[in-house]
Amino acid sequence: MKYASQKVAYWFFASAMVLFALQLVYGFIMGFAHTGWDGLHQWIPFNTARAVHTNLLVCWLLLGFMGAAYFIIPEEADCELWSVKLAYIQLIAFLAVGVTAIVCYHLNIWEGRKFLEIPRPLDYLVVIDVLAFLLNIGMTLMRGKRYTTTSLVLYMGLFFAALLYLPGMITFDNQTMDSFYRWWVVHLWVEGVWELIMGGILCYLLIKLTGVDRELVEKWLYIIVGLTFLSGILGTGHHYYYIGTPRYWLIVGGIFSALEPLAFLGMAIYALAMAKKGGRKHPNKIALTWSLGCAIMSCVGAGFLGIAHTIPQVNMFTHGTLVTAMHGHMAFWGAYAMIVLAIMAYAMPLLTGRKLWDSPLATWAFWTSNIGMSAMTGAFAVAGITQVTLERRMGMDFLAVQHEIEMHFIGLLLGASLFTVGIVLFMWNFIRHGLPSDEAIGADIEGTPTPAQT
Amino acid sequence: MLSKSQAKIFFLGGTGVFSAAFLSLTIDTHRKVPAQTHAANITPQVAHGKRIWEDNNCMGCHTLFGEGAYYAPELTKVVERRGKPWLRMFLKNPEAMFPNDRKMVNYHFNDEQIENAIAFLEWCGNVDLNGFPAKPPLAAKMAASTTAPVVTTKPIPPIFDAMACTGCHSLGGKGGAAGVALGAPPLDDVYKRKNRAEIVAWVSDPPKVKPDTKMPKLPLSPEQVNEIADFLSSLGN
Repeated sequence: MKYASQKVAYWFFASAMVLFALQLVYGFIMGFAHTGWDGLHQWIPFNTARAVHTNLLVCWLLLGFMGAAYFIIPEEADCELWSVKLAYIQLIAFLAVGVTAIVCYHLNIWEGRKFLEIPRPLDYLVVIDVLAFLLNIGMTLMRGKRYTTTSLVLYMGLFFAALLYLPGMITFDNQTMDSFYRWWVVHLWVEGVWELIMGGILCYLLIKLTGVDRELVEKWLYIIVGLTFLSGILGTGHHYYYIGTPRYWLIVGGIFSALEPLAFLGMAIYALAMAKKGGRKHPNKIALTWSLGCAIMSCVGAGFLGIAHTIPQVNMFTHGTLVTAMHGHMAFWGAYAMIVLAIMAYAMPLLTGRKLWDSPLATWAFWTSNIGMSAMTGAFAVAGITQVTLERRMGMDFLAVQHEIEMHFIGLLLGASLFTVGIVLFMWNFIRHGLPSDEAIGADIEGTPTPAQT
Repeated sequence: MLSKSQAKIFFLGGTGVFSAAFLSLTIDTHRKVPAQTHAANITPQVAHGKRIWEDNNCMGCHTLFGEGAYYAPELTKVVERRGKPWLRMFLKNPEAMFPNDRKMVNYHFNDEQIENAIAFLEWCGNVDLNGFPAKPPLAAKMAASTTAPVVTTKPIPPIFDAMACTGCHSLGGKGGAAGVALGAPPLDDVYKRKNRAEIVAWVSDPPKVKPDTKMPKLPLSPEQVNEIADFLSSLGN
């Protein structure tokens, strides 16, 4: 790392790892409940486990994005962070809000809207916290010696993520309008501005790891995030097919959702092309593996598994079934979890000065987690398709169908166990790096191809 | 090939154009949704019901308009599917309806809360969802190959439908989906297994006759029990 203030990123990454571990625990609770082993129902009913599982995901990804920004922005802007103290306060406050929300879920206190379950007073705290974060990053950019496209795209992504949180706070008595604006947050985050953040981080990693000329990498970044918004904004329509909104959304959503995989395909081709062009000279190969893995898995999970059920005629039957869970798991893993793990894999040796990048543990972590997630996606797919056939096409009763597909959840749990092994290995490698150290300042010169290329 | 500044214009311009298109469609949606959702029917009772729905995070297990979690049934058409008497009974004690099966938390709703929740779900059931949920396209084909006509001299009493007996039991090859896992027998030949007095005793209080039965005691008056018994014992004639 170049600046001492970048060290704060470590604590964001470490907190993200803890929340990720907890997310897996709640995932297992749900997996077991689906197979009939619901012994915890009295204390952690399914709706609690579900809200904790998804909210922890959002929390740790946001922490990962913030950590990534605190690591990347000082270096891109070429100056120390505006306020390290504010960054720590903002981290602690964020964690406090997250923990409070999770406790509330166990006490049946919530707003009860999918993905936006946190009780209303906590919403305001999240907004304040994110504003503090944006102020910190924004001031750093203002004070910095240079503006780069990478930092601009990353900042835009973070800024719009904060802005788009607000429509989710409007309340309606009409369930249709309620849902309409809920998707402004959920969809426009994950299929819009979060892709900007992902693109920004990926671009930074490609510049650092492949040594390809910044101008070229950043030009393509513009084209890819351009494609993302071109398809993603009106692609929101695929959530408006069957919730009581006008029929034209079937056409608008159908067409633009079909274009959404293009952005992800573009991202994958872009990452692979840059890696090939640069010749992979950087010694931190595992960080490049995670970056390319992210581009490919997001293309499969978010792009192709997404379009597999956003075609309106298909969605009529798959809407509200486990097919959504199939797409959701690999999409979030590929696009967002993997980009956060990629920036961690790149940043940890630089933050701590320990070059553990060629450790076999790191390679095992990558492959085990990805094979595990693929197996989970397969299990969800079989369960989901069976559910669609029996319940939606043949008209069997919901619970009778659920009993028929219990065995696929055993498959899911096996895949999830493999995935967990991979994540535990990643975490163990994370811990082995130790704490960030001042001795590591200036160490990033080593390993990059030539200073001129960065 | 594009230069970097042209790529930037593509990104900013495209984002601007498509955001504007999205906002115009949003304005139009605002204009059309009240009619499509029968917003005039959102009474204070419906609004209260929606709050019950949210305060207990029902979406954490169920889907509504196909949105939510996939652990419990889709509820958009539940009032049409089960009927209000069934729902009232279910919400009082969910586990009694499906013993030893997937569990729902008993929220100990009072009668007013139950009516509000049902009013909300009834409103949801009437929203025009562009055809969702679809009628199962294969159901008719399958029924055509398995259904036997019901032979009866008496008409089906209203209470038989109100209690949604065919939710668990099949009759004439129809219904019975919810009872498959519970071992609920078809009712076509129940007259062969029980005489009229036995049917009356059973329908009045099933757990009294067979303590481990999964059929709950239903809130039926003696007249209603008699109507059901008359109907079931007439099936053989």
